Amino acid sequence: MDVSDLVDTTTGRQKRTIYSNEELYKQELERIFGRCWLFLVHTSQIPKAGDYFRTFMGEDDVIVIRQKDGSIKAFLNSCTHRGNRICRADRGNAKAFTCNYHGWSFAPDGSLAGVPLENEAYFGELDRSKLGLVQVTHVAEYKGLVFGCFDPDAPSLEDYLGDAKFFLDVWLDAMPGGTSLLGETQKMELGSNWKLPVENVCGDGYHLGWAHAGAMSAVQSMDLAGLSVGNSSTNLEGGLSVAGMNGHMALTSLDGVSGYAFYPEPKPMMDYLEANRPTAIERLGKVRGEQLWGSQINITIFPNLQFLPGLNWFRVYHPKGPGKLEQWTWAMVENDMPEEMQATILDNQCLTFGLAGLFDNDDGDNLAACTEQSRGWRTAQMDVFTNMALGRSGPRDGFPGDIAAGLVSEHNQRYFYRRWQEHMQAESWAEVPTYNINSLSVEEPENA
Amino acid sequence: MLEMNPAPVLVEDMIALTQRLYHEARLLDAERFEDWLELLCDDVTYRMDLKRRRFRADRSPPAAVGAGVVFNENFARLKLRIDRLRSGYVWAEDPPNFVRRVISNVEIEPADAENEVIVHSVIVIHRNRIDGLARQFTAARTDRWRHGTKGWCLAARDIALDHAVLPDSNINVFF
Repeated sequence: MDVSDLVDTTTGRQKRTIYSNEELYKQELERIFGRCWLFLVHTSQIPKAGDYFRTFMGEDDVIVIRQKDGSIKAFLNSCTHRGNRICRADRGNAKAFTCNYHGWSFAPDGSLAGVPLENEAYFGELDRSKLGLVQVTHVAEYKGLVFGCFDPDAPSLEDYLGDAKFFLDVWLDAMPGGTSLLGETQKMELGSNWKLPVENVCGDGYHLGWAHAGAMSAVQSMDLAGLSVGNSSTNLEGGLSVAGMNGHMALTSLDGVSGYAFYPEPKPMMDYLEANRPTAIERLGKVRGEQLWGSQINITIFPNLQFLPGLNWFRVYHPKGPGKLEQWTWAMVENDMPEEMQATILDNQCLTFGLAGLFDNDDGDNLAACTEQSRGWRTAQMDVFTNMALGRSGPRDGFPGDIAAGLVSEHNQRYFYRRWQEHMQAESWAEVPTYNINSLSVEEPENA
Repeated sequence: MLEMNPAPVLVEDMIALTQRLYHEARLLDAERFEDWLELLCDDVTYRMDLKRRRFRADRSPPAAVGAGVVFNENFARLKLRIDRLRSGYVWAEDPPNFVRRVISNVEIEPADAENEVIVHSVIVIHRNRIDGLARQFTAARTDRWRHGTKGWCLAARDIALDHAVLPDSNINVFF
């Protein structure tokens, strides 16, 4: 389908049909989920050989497995004989995966290791070497985050991430010990198109004071983006909306403490930040070490990965049709944090943005209703708007990207839909533009 | 194996506790949260762990810092949740949803403390959201109830939710 008229980033307009149309959804599975690098697993979740984690790439069921040599491979979770799912567990450790249907068995490296009655029934004529599990074309790691990609012509993961690495490193590389995801996967089904929660978290500071007014009035220590309960006032000075980095976005405060200052007992958090600030500055330079590390930051990696240093949740959205998704969430920590601090973070993440999260529980119905209100005969023809603060962005010293001031803006959402349109229009990766606007031409010197 | 009950609970306690469970359900259905708090001990714990789906033979060790929870609350945190629901700003609950709890499979057994008992039960929560949208949660509960001056009070509740993927967009209800 031609999508040139469905998104207009110059006026900040989208056609609602992009949230409900079946044909467009199929095109998304092909041109977005079949083409982009998608988050699979964090290395901390599969530390040992044989450890595996089951996830999705679009609607394709995938098993990610740590190999004997320490590398990571990913395979379609589907028997090459009759197509049955070979793994029904969420994660674990396995020496082999045996299909429930006829007993074909696959080794962790994907090879077909055993076929019952191979000689009697197949007369020894089966070429097992051609019937291993289908491997995900590319698997690569960036500082603990493992991504997979189906498209053989895709750019490298590093190039795909582009200047978003500037922000990724604030979380992934500020401390020498790296990061982890904690605990089991918190899974929720939402009656929403997959783009709506991504759009919400990538740039929508506007909804915080209104949609979450109940939670904000109850948890008074939680100051979100300098907004008041009821959206009655906001401070635009405290943050940045950053986009124009190959479709990735960041929404960031600049104070270096806001990610942890809202805890009911912030002292241990503040002590940790203060003790390790010199390390962060040494590793990331002055701008990021002082202003970003410790700040509340929303990071979005196109199309469906989002994580928030500060609130410390990490999330992917798996599409299940145009009007449905599964939202998977974990708490995330730096490995250098003391264990008590990690436990506090896990507890707070469950309280605020988990399955029963005081804040999370406000968003689902809004996103579902936006989806439903794009399905009517008349509503499907209508527009929706992301035109706030249009044309009010530019470069900023020390930062990459096209930047709008403040967290209340629709700047990032416009870039998200721009990227969506670019992928949906392109026949192949060769037609997808690469851009890192206002790229920092020189690496920031150490201890600048 | 058939579990033998070494010291069977008294019939009147059984009736009183079963009635407490039904009463509690009716208070919550009617959003009488403050009355419900009256049934809780000051040191109450109220917890729902995350589910895990593993092969039976899998021996992967538990997570070091913890598996995470759906919620793990004390009295103050339950009050915080009620403050949010009472704020007048929780748009997903306005108009109110039609919520009905069904409590069943009640079993009572002695606890270690003399004034406490363990109560097992099953809860089904039906919610009619907008228009025809109905959602249902099913869970097992293992409670510890303590007898004091106010009668039986809930001291601890462990809830095992029977859903690997939460089948609704929020848990704005108590179990």
